[in-house]
Amino acid sequence: MMLLSMLFTFFKIGLFSFGGGYAILAMIQQEVVIKHAWLTEAEFMEVVAISQMTPGPIAINAATFIGYHKAGILGGLLCTIGVILPSLIIMMIITLSYLKLKKLAWFQQIFKRLRLVSVGLIAAALIMILGNAVQSLFAVAVFAVSFVCTWKFKLNPFTMLIATAIFGAIFGSA
Amino acid sequence: MLLKIFLTFLKIGAFTIGGGYAMIPLIKREVCSRHAWITEEEFLDGLAASQSAPGPIAVNISIYTGYHVRGKSGMLMAVLGTILPSTFTILMVAMLFNQYADQAVVKRAFSALKPAVVALIAVPLIQMAKKSGMNLRNAWFPLAVAILVGLLGVSPVYLILLTIAYAIWESRR
Repeated sequence: MMLLSMLFTFFKIGLFSFGGGYAILAMIQQEVVIKHAWLTEAEFMEVVAISQMTPGPIAINAATFIGYHKAGILGGLLCTIGVILPSLIIMMIITLSYLKLKKLAWFQQIFKRLRLVSVGLIAAALIMILGNAVQSLFAVAVFAVSFVCTWKFKLNPFTMLIATAIFGAIFGSA
Repeated sequence: MLLKIFLTFLKIGAFTIGGGYAMIPLIKREVCSRHAWITEEEFLDGLAASQSAPGPIAVNISIYTGYHVRGKSGMLMAVLGTILPSTFTILMVAMLFNQYADQAVVKRAFSALKPAVVALIAVPLIQMAKKSGMNLRNAWFPLAVAILVGLLGVSPVYLILLTIAYAIWESRR
């Protein structure tokens, strides 16, 4: 039952995430942390950090990790299949008819609007993790430095996270 | 040919760290320049389609390319190639993490990683806001979504369905 519920939940996540990795993370947080409570907010942030540091699409990494965490290897595989199944179906249709679809006014309008929704959803994800993640002066400082390095100095996320992990291992609190 | 598709996407999946957007230039080089499976124009159309469709962009573009080159079986090979390395690696990492999560050094590392993750999500948020065509007239839209979902706990699914209906109504007016 648990496995079936996970497969269905990740199918839903795949189906309703528009705009790639970070929009999917926002959907995962909604379904997995808030609705089903399979992960705590703190565990969710661990998953995001790990997913970004390992090869491949962030959403796939997060789905596999969460599935394994809750229900072992089979859980990991089912969550992965669940999250890509909608892509397979929808991309097959779109590949056949994209050249025709992109000329239609309603098709363009839907995606113009959905892009704005994705921005709102990621902002919501940020609001929800902010309180949990940034509680101490140490956390505020780490946030500020990593934000400036990624945004202003275009440091890639992988290097930033590795540097942060090493810094944390030495100066952080357990 | 099917094996070649599989191996090409396996390579792409195994050697890109940092998620979908990091994979796109590599995919383009492999499928447009090296193998010449699709033209640059077809790739850009595919990329636009991949960004419109739900789901991971890297998975979507590999589905598009695989399907273009060799139909349904090409599509499956491309997807398997893209996700197998990450599924395998993350399973290993998850097993290790379960064992070492309680170690003090791991906890210390994550005490710094958590605020860094906030920055990691904040930066693409700004970039996506710029690219989404947000302006003073339509900024209420993402703002309303953020408040409804982030503070009032409304499910994004309803908002997305509502948005699709609203967009269709708008364009029919």
